[in-house]
Amino acid sequence: MLATASSTDFFDPKLSLILDGQYTTEKSALSERNKGWGIGHIELGLSSTLGDYFYGKYMGTLHEHGSKIEYETEEAFIQTLALPDGFSLRAGRFLSDVGYLNGQHAHADSFSSRPAVYRGMLGDHYYDDGARLSYVMPTDIYWVLGAEAFRGKKMRAVGITDPESVGVYTAFTKIGGDFDEENSWQLGLSYLRNRNGAGVSELDHDEEEHEDHEHHDEHGDHEEHGHEDEGHHEHAGHDDHNHSHGAAYTGKDTYLAEAVWKWAPGGNYKYQSLTLSGEYLISKNISQTIKNDENHEGFYLSGVYQMSPEWFAGVRYGEVEGYEAHGDHFHEQTLKETDVVLGWTRSHAMTVKLQYTHQSGDDLPNIAGDMLTLQFTMSLGDHDAHSF
Amino acid sequence: MRIASNWVFRETSRLGFAAVLLAGSIQAQADLRVFACEPEWAALAQELSPRSVVYSATTAQQDPHQVQPRPGLISKMRKADLVVCSGAELEVGWLPVLQQKSGNRKVQSRDEGLFFAADYVETIDKAESTGPLAGDIHEDGNPHLHLDPYRILDISKALAERMANLDPASAKIYRDNQSAFADRWQAQIETWEKQAEPLKGLNLIAYHSNFDYLLNWLGINTVGDLEPKPGVPPSSRHLASLLQKSQSLQVDGVIYASYQNAQGADWLSKKLGVPNVELPMSVGGNEDSHDLTGLYGSLIQTLLKTVTGSSS
Repeated sequence: MLATASSTDFFDPKLSLILDGQYTTEKSALSERNKGWGIGHIELGLSSTLGDYFYGKYMGTLHEHGSKIEYETEEAFIQTLALPDGFSLRAGRFLSDVGYLNGQHAHADSFSSRPAVYRGMLGDHYYDDGARLSYVMPTDIYWVLGAEAFRGKKMRAVGITDPESVGVYTAFTKIGGDFDEENSWQLGLSYLRNRNGAGVSELDHDEEEHEDHEHHDEHGDHEEHGHEDEGHHEHAGHDDHNHSHGAAYTGKDTYLAEAVWKWAPGGNYKYQSLTLSGEYLISKNISQTIKNDENHEGFYLSGVYQMSPEWFAGVRYGEVEGYEAHGDHFHEQTLKETDVVLGWTRSHAMTVKLQYTHQSGDDLPNIAGDMLTLQFTMSLGDHDAHSF
Repeated sequence: MRIASNWVFRETSRLGFAAVLLAGSIQAQADLRVFACEPEWAALAQELSPRSVVYSATTAQQDPHQVQPRPGLISKMRKADLVVCSGAELEVGWLPVLQQKSGNRKVQSRDEGLFFAADYVETIDKAESTGPLAGDIHEDGNPHLHLDPYRILDISKALAERMANLDPASAKIYRDNQSAFADRWQAQIETWEKQAEPLKGLNLIAYHSNFDYLLNWLGINTVGDLEPKPGVPPSSRHLASLLQKSQSLQVDGVIYASYQNAQGADWLSKKLGVPNVELPMSVGGNEDSHDLTGLYGSLIQTLLKTVTGSSS
């Protein structure tokens, strides 16, 4: 991560490679991962400070997308380190800081998959091309304010033919602190304005022939969805057609609330610790075509207990409820998911997780019932620093 | 910057006012806001600048390798003028996140408000190669360097200079405090070395390389480590092989740090029939370790009492 370089090492590159493999007994709803053996989320990163004023990072990922393996650039940004106190600016491609989990890297997660609400409403994790300005208040309590502007392609709704070029704006604030030596907390609220977030259904989707480049270059098969048979179920959730990081459930206005509490005896995270976290997401104004009051909505609650330096166990429950437009009406889709994970880790370099997942729900393909996932993650290269 | 300089200005004028009020009875000293990664550096900063606001990110009961870059630390770093840490990659898992998230440009550069003690002294045990499974190995050498009193002297000098650079108006105060500290410390070193005479040549089994500088200084040998690899907790297999290996050696005791779990050390010391000793890792690690002098005194007295059964 960020090197603590002196001005003598202007360029101090850190190389990291995260290897991730897994075996899953079932295909899962709202997920790109296949049944059986597969690669998870392989990350190759290079980061460095550039003098004392900038930090830059590149991270490419390999992951499964249906039957293919895709290479993608998830991060390629420069961040300032020396704006006037408290301000920082980041530009390029990076993970949005809305919500709690979104800004974190998947390999640091305690569970082998992101919560259902993230998979449905943020496309697993939302990263995009854009810029962010954030400001840390000079208060005793931690208080950060931030705003981002993104291209928004991954969050584009179905049927949008003439998208706005700056599609997504976000604003977020987080506060946090320590109750005492052993207990720390963080709360956050985020708003995501998605100008291309309200879908257009076939109903008034008369052939608009002009297809700009933007629309064409990356899995620009949205129009084809509109021509599909209404009852065709592969359509649901778009997970077999849409881009792997595209969100299935979008709306013009999305609100996110997050809460995290961490505890360790004596504040010593070496032996035991407990992390409780939860998030709630709601998307409003989800269709331009259908007059509606329906909202996409979901949440998760998770608790992870580290019982020794090498072992941890976690439980997570989450739900997501989304609406898929079919002409002039919606089909409601729901997914309820319970995960139980047991993990073993050796000095953060290697982690093995065994996760049991139970899914139930309606109108979504691949609702797994019961499934087991065995995941191996190995971190090669420079030590990686993780967020709270 | 504007906010920070306003703050400094306000504080300075308040202090100036106080100084006038106290009219020479107390020497006015400048405030720096110091963020220390570990309590030993907070204590040293306090020695050099008693009027500074000093915050320690960790306690002696917390493993400094594994710290959560929590919001409470970001807000503290946001307002710091100076960050003082061990360096040598000890804080590599959490300090960079704090620096980046704090948005505080004063603490990004090792030439300005970021001070690594390891930059000013030689470290021991530099690793030649590190791999993903080598554990918490530090290529830059052993970062637990605050337990060598001679290194503390060098570091105190460098730190006072850094404070003087950051706050030239009070440069003299920092340098004066440093030379007073150095005089006291030199005298202490002589006392400690005399007291610790009986410890010379002892054979101890340690838990991690936490006390290597101390043991080197006092002429104590480390004949085993409870950890199979640095940062990897003692396994029963490793403890069993350590027990076997120790039976052919003369072992005088097993030591572990105030933030470490006593289990492995307990088991092994009982099997070997030798004392099991918890040592304060830093200032605040036990009742007597209220400052650096107290910490060193307590380390030596604890070893004398428990291992050699004597004290002075």
